[in-house]
Amino acid sequence: MASAPQSHRKLRFHILRYNPAKADDEPRIQTYELEEAPGMTLFIALTEIREKQDPSLQFDFVCRAGICGSCGMMINGRPSLACRSVTQSFPDDIWLAPLPVFELIGDLSVNTGKWMRGMSEKLETWVHMKQEELDFKRIEAPMDPALAEEIYELDRCIECGCCVAGCGTARMREDFVGAVALNKIARFRLDPRDDRTDEDFYELVGDDNGVFGCMSLLGCHDVCPKQLPLQTQIAFLRRKMVAQGTKG
Amino acid sequence: MKIVHTDVLVIGGGLAGLRLAIGAKRRGHDAIILSLVPAKRSHSKAAQGGMQASLGNVAKGQGDNEDVHFEDTVRGSDWGADQEVVRMFVNTAPKAVRELAAWGVPWSRVRKGDRTVIINGQKVTITERDEAQGLVAQRDFGGTKKWRTCYAADGTGHAMINAVADQAIADSIPVHERMEALALIHDGNRCYGAVVRDLITGEVSAYVATATAVCTGGAGRVYRTTTNAVICEGIGHALALETGASALGNMEAIQFHPTGIFPAGILVTEGCRGDGGLLKDVDGHRFMPDYEPEKKELASRDVVSRRMEEHIKKGKGHQSRFGTHLWLDITLLGEKHIHTNLREVWDICHYFLGVDPVKEMIPVRPAQHYTMGGVRTDASGQSPTLKGLFSAGEASCWDMHGFNRLGGNSVAETVVAGMIVGESVADYCDAIANAPTVPMGLVREFVEREQAKLAQFTKAGGKEDASVIKGEMQDLMTAKVGIFRTGADLEEAVDKLQKLLVRSRAIGLRSPTLGANPELVTAYRVQRMLKVALTVAYGAAVRTESRGAHFREDHPRRNDAEWLKRTLATWKGESDTLPTLAYEPLDVGRMELPPGWRGYGAKDYLDHPDTPARQQAVEAIRAQHANDRFAMQAALMPYEHLLPPVLRGRNERIDEKF
Amino acid sequence: MSSNQETIAGVGLADRPRKSRWPARMDLAQSTTGLVLALFMWGHMFFVSTILISKDAMWAVTKMFEGYFFFGKAFPGIVSVVVATILAILVLHAFLAMRKFPANYRQYREFVAHKNLMHHGDTTLWWWQVLTGFALFFLATVHLYQMLMHPGAIGPYQSADRVWTGSWWPLYLVLLFAVELHGGIGLYRLCVKWGWLEGKDPAASRARLKTAKWVLTAFFLALGLLTLGAYLKIGYEHRARAGEVYTPAWVQPNPMEKAP
Ligand SMILES: Cc1cc2nc3c(=O)[nH]c(=O)nc-3n(C[C@H](O)[C@H](O)[C@H](O)COP(=O)(O)OP(=O)(O)OC[C@H]3O[C@@H](n4cnc5c(N)ncnc54)[C@H](O)[C@@H]3O)c2cc1C
Ligand code: HEM
Ligand code: HEM
Ligand code: SF4
Ligand code: F3S
Ligand code: FES
Repeated sequence: MASAPQSHRKLRFHILRYNPAKADDEPRIQTYELEEAPGMTLFIALTEIREKQDPSLQFDFVCRAGICGSCGMMINGRPSLACRSVTQSFPDDIWLAPLPVFELIGDLSVNTGKWMRGMSEKLETWVHMKQEELDFKRIEAPMDPALAEEIYELDRCIECGCCVAGCGTARMREDFVGAVALNKIARFRLDPRDDRTDEDFYELVGDDNGVFGCMSLLGCHDVCPKQLPLQTQIAFLRRKMVAQGTKG
Repeated sequence: MKIVHTDVLVIGGGLAGLRLAIGAKRRGHDAIILSLVPAKRSHSKAAQGGMQASLGNVAKGQGDNEDVHFEDTVRGSDWGADQEVVRMFVNTAPKAVRELAAWGVPWSRVRKGDRTVIINGQKVTITERDEAQGLVAQRDFGGTKKWRTCYAADGTGHAMINAVADQAIADSIPVHERMEALALIHDGNRCYGAVVRDLITGEVSAYVATATAVCTGGAGRVYRTTTNAVICEGIGHALALETGASALGNMEAIQFHPTGIFPAGILVTEGCRGDGGLLKDVDGHRFMPDYEPEKKELASRDVVSRRMEEHIKKGKGHQSRFGTHLWLDITLLGEKHIHTNLREVWDICHYFLGVDPVKEMIPVRPAQHYTMGGVRTDASGQSPTLKGLFSAGEASCWDMHGFNRLGGNSVAETVVAGMIVGESVADYCDAIANAPTVPMGLVREFVEREQAKLAQFTKAGGKEDASVIKGEMQDLMTAKVGIFRTGADLEEAVDKLQKLLVRSRAIGLRSPTLGANPELVTAYRVQRMLKVALTVAYGAAVRTESRGAHFREDHPRRNDAEWLKRTLATWKGESDTLPTLAYEPLDVGRMELPPGWRGYGAKDYLDHPDTPARQQAVEAIRAQHANDRFAMQAALMPYEHLLPPVLRGRNERIDEKF
Repeated sequence: MSSNQETIAGVGLADRPRKSRWPARMDLAQSTTGLVLALFMWGHMFFVSTILISKDAMWAVTKMFEGYFFFGKAFPGIVSVVVATILAILVLHAFLAMRKFPANYRQYREFVAHKNLMHHGDTTLWWWQVLTGFALFFLATVHLYQMLMHPGAIGPYQSADRVWTGSWWPLYLVLLFAVELHGGIGLYRLCVKWGWLEGKDPAASRARLKTAKWVLTAFFLALGLLTLGAYLKIGYEHRARAGEVYTPAWVQPNPMEKAP
């Protein structure tokens, strides 16, 4: 068991409150005090604040285990998953704000789902097969085990949006697809079951809203809670798309 | 009043709901999915360990087939399962894995040649066949004879829902996110859709559909300590229950998972033990072989969880600041294995415990994990008592799990049931296309009723606090309706839950707005959760036997003579404080595998009077068809007619080439 | 443009108008021009710093560029051609890179807020690249214009006189810092952008690249400051005879004077 210090610090949570649905509401910082408990995560802390102090506080948790990607928020200035952030690792003052870029629902809750769906539709982030009818009674097509692992590695993205919120380009330019999308394209490009070629992928990300819009700020890479190899993947995709775009 | 029309309304965007919607859509029916959260954030995401399907690819899975999978599942269920449904399931599971493979799930794959694995604490070398190179790999899981669990590292559910949700996007199936179904619209005979609340704006509208499918997942949050997500509150169960017409089956069958990390309850996968991890006590002693010499750590979950609690009761638990726990030791698996095959486990230990599982043991204790019970359906997935209402996935009692489901059988069920029920829903829509139109007056009535209920919270000035009531319910369930149950505890729980239910009718809000309001959400949900909790506690109190995960200390034997039947709970009147229970007997005379010993756990049960006769009949048929397993199966219990035609047919394997 | 004619399940990719190839070309060109400029600057810094060795050394380098040792005669026009080329590359680079600048006040505000909140190294470095790039746009063009129009006016004394007597040193001082920061960051960014020198462990390589980047910047800044100091010193000492052309003792007669 992690040996938490026995201290019972008084934590101060400074939370950006704003409900865009209320006509007269103005964004403001509201401060809540809470006694720290051992092993306390932001999930536990925020739930307690909501139950005991302010029932109107909005935020999103689903799995509370760092796997669903619901709880991305700005924690002391950086996008991160709240559910797996333990308060121990923070100073007494903790600043919480909703992820930028995404549509604000209220307080700490943003509509990452809508953004991700839009991105998926636009970039067609699914396996495209030329042959649609396969016979699933037959033995599956073999795949190189190492390749399967590589694909899984990129498939680990939980669409939390941290990479988008952590990207200066995405913050400046609404139409920039973000690292999450570039990683997905890299993932499908790697997948032998996807019959698309670089020519097709160029159609999806071969412009300044796509891979050429990325300015290699690497905020995405550094904040991704799943430690996806975004730097490598974007570079790789850029090489392939430049090769495609300068061909012929 | 806003009304949305569609052919198929799928409530729930987890694996079951998504796959069902895809099936219906591909048959030409419009489908809309409702979900509390973006589809990919559904709790299917959390499944780590894997999905069972008898592919027989790996050396340790050689000889596996539908028959073995069938027997494992029925034994696991402690004979509570519907055996025809289990047959439908085991025959479709390989097709499901292969479909998912084509859809892009990065299943871990077999490497031919030698590899070292840990079995029973020992290093063992296994040689994989050349023909298996690159096929879907399989690992060992509790309660199975063969290595059958297909996996994508330890993010199986994650990889699966990514692929299935992406296919749903490819098929242009809209997912209406942050939309909560509040009630099913029905006239007592037929279901017409649902009343839905927008969680962002608070707007209440009606979704009118030909077929409605409840795919809302588990109800773990009626407990305090659970591996389930915070949205697994059993609202779907309550939707069906509150119709008064459809029943919930076997709600007392609640599974506890042996390895929830302590104290948070977050799950570390069964794969840890499947891959060779050991359970140890305060002295560092591996205690499971003392209790279960045969299957040890890999007995079914109900058994392992009980043995752990038993061991803790003997004073062998480790005392920590938060209470008592045991240890899961995976250090022997080695750094490489943990970093590649158990990454999520490493992450969870690292972030939530500050423990490095490569070097240190993981504190664990059983936690509520799975709701075997759910919306009772027939083999096609439709409610036998409310037409047009379907259910699939954890929310349903299709009944392939009986009183205990095997690890890896649940995500398999979601997809398989999605495939099968998707077809039935499409059939239903085809058939009913010309039926009389929806009674709009009824729709309006339902919407207005839900609106009035919501207004009640904000206007009536009640004094009860919703989150306090919820907390009391959760504590009560964990303390009194847990792994070991007694009549006294259960009666106390039922009594207190009823009082809580009454109190919940006087909930008032501190922030009384009808828009986005988390407190309001807690308020209306807790009322529903209490009803669901009551079906669990009351069903458990009445069932005076032990079966699968339902264990009564005062009735430790399985009693087939009296209890080989399925509990059906309905909620008759709005003002009731108890569900009405009825029982549906399981027909031993038609069972392919008549009740017997599970092969692990207590060897102590009372036979059903019909069992010996059926046993004899079964043996005769087996002898007659000894060299053709398909003919034997068909003679024992025909089931293929229950499957949609597209899903019928044998499955190819390395050892059973077409 | 030819495309695969088969329709891939579920997509209308084939029906879409094909995307322009220009973004790919421009991205490549932006990096190539940046790389050329950065490599040029390293060379440039070494050439101008030959003054630290001796006036003769600097003189020799200057004359070498003017083709004196090839043709036996100096052609400052050669320098003009080189300067014009560099200027063109610079203009092209600036044009391409400026697309990345915040396009309006909203973008500017968003980015600055983001940078200030994140405290993220590479994001902050990019901001420095934008600022220095902006500065370079003015400073470098002035410098290049001078070099373009007066290619012959380069030499130990002429340069030193320009720096001191001509009061160019403030411009050079700012230019030096701007270009060294900009170029160093730019080269680092090129590596991460294209995945160069990534090796087996990208995280470790990135850390190494960053260290290398700072070492290089520090080195060239030090070299540049010393060089500038040398020009200042020479220029100060030579202020009375500003305008005089340096001729090494061993060269007779003065090649400039011989020129027609
Ligand atoms: C930690 C963990 C690990 C597991 N590991 C495994 C494993 O390794 N192998 C295995 O086989 N099984 C595993 N299981 C079980 C398995 O993951 C689940 O049983 C299964 O995924 C449930 O899928 P589902 O589609 O039925 O429901 P879910 O995925 O839970 O989806 C429910 C959906 O319903 C929606 N919903 C709920 N209520 C409403 C409402 N009122 N209105 C609108 N929408 C609503 C939700 O938004 C959600 O989209 C695990 C479970 C847990 C908790
Ligand atoms: C005229 C003035 C200049 C301006 C306005 C300018 C601007 C910029 C900007 C904004 C970038 C970042 C582009 C991006 O993030 O995609 C950049 C990149 C770069 N600049 Fe400059 N720059 C100028 C001159 C120079 C000079 C003189 C050098 C040489 C030392 C140079 C070298 C680089 C390099 C190597 C890069 C990285 C290229 C890339 O990311 O593709 N720049 N420049
Ligand atoms: C072909 C083009 C160029 C030529 C011929 C050239 C030449 C020179 C010369 C001769 C000097 C010495 C001072 C002087 O004579 O005034 C000098 C100094 C300098 N130049 Fe250039 N230059 C060129 C391009 C550039 C560019 C593109 C930049 C940066 C963007 C640059 C930045 C500098 C700086 C910072 C100094 C001061 C040197 C120091 O402090 O060490 N030059 N250049
Ligand atoms: S790439 Fe990483 S940060 Fe971005 S959405 Fe995926 S998991 Fe989140
Ligand atoms: S932070 Fe943004 S600019 Fe590129 S490298 Fe990451 S997407
Ligand atoms: S709540 Fe799921 S990642 Fe935090």
